[in-house]
Amino acid sequence: MTWQTLAFLIVGGGAFYLSGKKFAVLYQVMKAQKGKAPKFEDFGKRFQTALVNVLGQKAVLQNPGIGIAHTLIFWGFIIISIGTVEQFVMTMYSGASFEFIGETLYHAFVFSQDLFTALVLLGVIFAAYRRFIIKPKHLGQSKDANNVLMFTGGLMISIFLMNAFHAAGNPWFRDSYFISSLIADGFAGLNLSEDANHGLFTFFKWVHMLLVLGFAVYIPGSKHLHIVAAGPNTFLRKLNREKGMTPINFEDETVTQYGAAKVTDLSWKDALDLYSCTECGRCQELCPAWNTDKPLSPKNLIVDIKKNLHTNKPLILEGKADEVGHIIDDHVTEDVIWACTSCRACEIACPVFIEHTDKIYDARRNLVMMESRFPAEVQAVFKNMETNASPWAFSPSERANWADGLDVKKMADVGSADQLDVLLWVGCAGSYDDRNKSVVKSFVNLLNKAGMKFAILGTEEQCTGDSARRIGNEYLFQTLAKANVETLNRYNVKRIVTACPHCFNTLKNEYGEMGGQYEVFHHSQFIAQMIGEGKLKSSKPINETVTFHDSCYLGRWNNVYAEPRKAIESIPQVKMVEMKLNHEKGMCCGAGGGRMWMEEHLGKRINVTRTEQALETGATTVATACPFCITMINDGMKEKDMVGKVKVKDIAELMDETT
Amino acid sequence: MNLYVCIKQVPDTETKIKVNGDASGIDTTGVKWIMSSYDEFAVEEALRLKEKNAGSTVTVVSAGPDRVVDALRTALAMGADNAIHVELPENADSNMAAKALTGALKKESGIDLIFFGKEALDDGAAQVPQLVATYMGIPAVTVVCGIEYSGNTLKCKREIEGGSFEMVEVSTPAVIAAHKGLNEPRYATLPNIMKAKKKEVKALKLADVGVSASDQKIKLKNFQLPPPKQAGKKIDGDAAAQAKALVTALHNEAKVI
Amino acid sequence: MAKVLVFVEQREGKLKKASFEILGASAAAGNETHAVIIGDGVAGLANECAQYGANKVHVVQDAALKNYTGEAYSKALVAAIKNISPEIILASHTPMGKELLPIVAAHVDGALATDCTSLQFAGGKLQLKRPVYSGKAIAEVEFCGSGIQMATIRQNAIGLPKPDSSKTADSSSITVDLSGLKTKILEVVKGNSARPDVTEASIVVSGGRSLKASENFKILEDLADTMGAAVGASRAAVDAGYRPHRDQVGQTGKVVSPSLYIACGISGAIQHLAGMRTSKVIVAINTDPQAPIFQIADYAIVGDLFQIVPALTNEVKHLKE
Repeated sequence: MTWQTLAFLIVGGGAFYLSGKKFAVLYQVMKAQKGKAPKFEDFGKRFQTALVNVLGQKAVLQNPGIGIAHTLIFWGFIIISIGTVEQFVMTMYSGASFEFIGETLYHAFVFSQDLFTALVLLGVIFAAYRRFIIKPKHLGQSKDANNVLMFTGGLMISIFLMNAFHAAGNPWFRDSYFISSLIADGFAGLNLSEDANHGLFTFFKWVHMLLVLGFAVYIPGSKHLHIVAAGPNTFLRKLNREKGMTPINFEDETVTQYGAAKVTDLSWKDALDLYSCTECGRCQELCPAWNTDKPLSPKNLIVDIKKNLHTNKPLILEGKADEVGHIIDDHVTEDVIWACTSCRACEIACPVFIEHTDKIYDARRNLVMMESRFPAEVQAVFKNMETNASPWAFSPSERANWADGLDVKKMADVGSADQLDVLLWVGCAGSYDDRNKSVVKSFVNLLNKAGMKFAILGTEEQCTGDSARRIGNEYLFQTLAKANVETLNRYNVKRIVTACPHCFNTLKNEYGEMGGQYEVFHHSQFIAQMIGEGKLKSSKPINETVTFHDSCYLGRWNNVYAEPRKAIESIPQVKMVEMKLNHEKGMCCGAGGGRMWMEEHLGKRINVTRTEQALETGATTVATACPFCITMINDGMKEKDMVGKVKVKDIAELMDETT
Repeated sequence: MNLYVCIKQVPDTETKIKVNGDASGIDTTGVKWIMSSYDEFAVEEALRLKEKNAGSTVTVVSAGPDRVVDALRTALAMGADNAIHVELPENADSNMAAKALTGALKKESGIDLIFFGKEALDDGAAQVPQLVATYMGIPAVTVVCGIEYSGNTLKCKREIEGGSFEMVEVSTPAVIAAHKGLNEPRYATLPNIMKAKKKEVKALKLADVGVSASDQKIKLKNFQLPPPKQAGKKIDGDAAAQAKALVTALHNEAKVI
Repeated sequence: MAKVLVFVEQREGKLKKASFEILGASAAAGNETHAVIIGDGVAGLANECAQYGANKVHVVQDAALKNYTGEAYSKALVAAIKNISPEIILASHTPMGKELLPIVAAHVDGALATDCTSLQFAGGKLQLKRPVYSGKAIAEVEFCGSGIQMATIRQNAIGLPKPDSSKTADSSSITVDLSGLKTKILEVVKGNSARPDVTEASIVVSGGRSLKASENFKILEDLADTMGAAVGASRAAVDAGYRPHRDQVGQTGKVVSPSLYIACGISGAIQHLAGMRTSKVIVAINTDPQAPIFQIADYAIVGDLFQIVPALTNEVKHLKE
């Protein structure tokens, strides 16, 4: 046994032991999580998404600059690891190497090591330049990040030095060591002996191996843990994200805790989310709350919950989960939890598929249902939904009053939906709010122009419960949902169209679990379809520059981006312009996640910020496709004194005016 | 402390009122029933007092048809400990209700405070708290929007006209009729809602509380809907003329100033 | 013809106009109308009662009656009832009357109808109507049995009679034992010092963003103060920093249902309507004739609030004088 073998057995063994122990703790903590994790099915699709996003780096490459740097580092590390394994082998068994693969292949291998070391180093230099010189606002400062950069840079430099002295002592490798040999040339003047070259080679090999082993011990306690967690997390992501909210079974009397009171009430998948976060800040960069100076940053949310988990590690490992403190603490405050508009920009931006909103929903469920803690103004909304089936205090008997004098049939008169093309779901805003009544009336005109047979539920319609669910009152949501499903099924409803993306999302994605399976369309989809089928045609030109504001529940939650634009573009002479933030990056109006019903005391108003972005385009009309968005943008126009100067219209109104 | 809260179940404020067939009341089909909202302040006040005084109990009492048990459960879900339902016919008057409640309360012992809402949202009579207090032989302070407690003495802020207040001192046992502003009623937590569903509600018949038909002093009849709200009146002219016309209309026609 | 006792309300030696409405109505119906004044040093008020129609005025005076409490005043009124033996007892549905009469009714086993908006007499009996369900319906009152008939009458509901200033009162005094009182008034906090809260006020004057500056709310405050009203604001006005959040009326602010709501420069988005729609009488002042607030307004004034509101303040002052 050589001294190297002995040293490696001691140092390597120690490092692997320490690192392994840390990982074991992480695993135990994850396993101790009490929350219910979603079911994982459809493995084919999972392999596909993991392949594309891990090996293919698709999600990371959404941001091209740092995305390319990351891809270089990612692939570099995989290739270089083969070399590291060789070093371990040659250290354990003196003289052993991978040369048995044949001269040509081995030369290629050596070449790849040099090439990727250089590429990783380039990546690291760019990352360091970005972190220390460009300093993007969303990135922030982090000692951990600096350590990781230093480790990575050190690893690459030690490889180059090791290879340089290897090349110096083994001239026949010089061509393959096409970069290291240049460094070797630099040292040529020293005229080192073969022994000296070999000694220095061994020295830098050890430097590199010690860095690797040190890194292995460092990683489990660092944000760099993502190199282990992000892959599995991508594999285990929610494939049907639009069906994200898991229903609670209130019939099950063994369940006495709703939502997450403690970090341990989250699921093991949530813990894996926490492990996967590398604090890149992309979530924060697009967060409407963070960008308007609210206390919520999706990045900090994850980091802070992770801190909470780590702080409580000893208690969790001792099985004393009862003594773990509240998930709401000095960092994750109630203000943080209530600031979320559930717009999902954070999740779309996240390269490792962390599901931020789940944590918010779980915390809210606990605050609302277990502790009755929520912004005071929400209580009236709950009570209205309970007694009047609408967030606004209006009598259910007045729900269909908007249709007085219009040729709109009620299901009660039609009897069965079999006679209809589609059921029109009006929603509370369309039923009670003057501005949105006019949107629904326009859509009714379009349906009539296209010769569609439709009806409404009239006074039998109730609030879908979307806001209750997002705010955390799952119990109220289910009460409303079950009542609606009962009504819809009684009329044998199969197809539903609605002008409200919140109703659309709930009916389409969430009523299935309540016993209601329907084919649900947003009115933008229906309009686009009617245009496509030639049933609807804009003939009156309007000389307007139009920008379209994406609704979160239409776009990010349901991938409907093209249809509303198609409708607008079908209008003769309309000039379409996009806001800087559009499609997946579109900024929320501020009303999602139940925020419609809450005051916005902190920071700048989100709707005003979004309105400013719309005004920047120079558009003369802002088109919307959501009752909440239209309200918020309208209010934004009032704030900016632009009422009457720039119009805010629903796409149905634009279509109705021009057909 | 032994705290009692008398509550009434009423149609939700958004209910569209329809007169029943013989105009002796309203058509209750499809009506959503809620706890009268002033009563929520009463329940909340009792609960807060209980939370400050260990060993206290809060008992809610309601007189009415069987449906009022739902309102009692709402109060139980908010955190009340016990509930008593006293049978009472649908259109009983304030006096009969007060006699029924008094009968139920007299079966209890060591009462410290009895809270009410200052009036019910349906008949708006504002009689029962004072009637019960008098039948119980204890003082009543009504329209209370603030209370300072010290021992068995209460300093009540009672709202009177013109935004003025009377600061009334009263000692227990007493009746307090709660007004808006006294507190912010809580929203029941789900575990409490679940528990409230299973709690026992003590049921008393009219005979148990010594009440008979002769306790009914008045009856309401010939219910009518007011003439439908007329389209708004537009007031024209210059500012001075508009102001004069408006004030005259508000005083003589609408009778609100 | 009936023997009617009218509780004539006074505070700080000033009689309530609302009591005169009832005296007038009773006298006009030809009833034997007895006025009862309760207080301390209030004998001088008797003549005024006679001028509004009281045939006889009874004064119950005691140092303990200086300030109203339900307990003391009910004892005084019960003593007067025993003395007079009326068939009918009437009072105004004021904060004092509405608390007092039920206590008295329990003591004298009377049959009481409160908050009546129509008062008539027929064959020595009361004929009353009262609103129910916050005024969404009106019902007639039928008295069961033959006990004393009692009622409180809503202020302003029946109109003020013309006083006959030549009349002087036939007055007498009644004494009452007020020992062992369990309630006492510590203080009466005057309304002028604090404007009422929007949720508690019976009149609310609200302003929107078109007031343009927080200083401009002064004109709304002036109007509110002349009427004992609260000052409210729309969300836009609160967001603009013109008013504190506690004054905000609307879905996410306070929900109010006053008898009179005056919306100044408020367009009437659903967010605001949700908070004040159920007000009994709504006045809207706005420059935009298309503003949705006009759809629910009982009185609509299209015009400049900066001119109209000060003019209103003047008119209300005139009325009060």
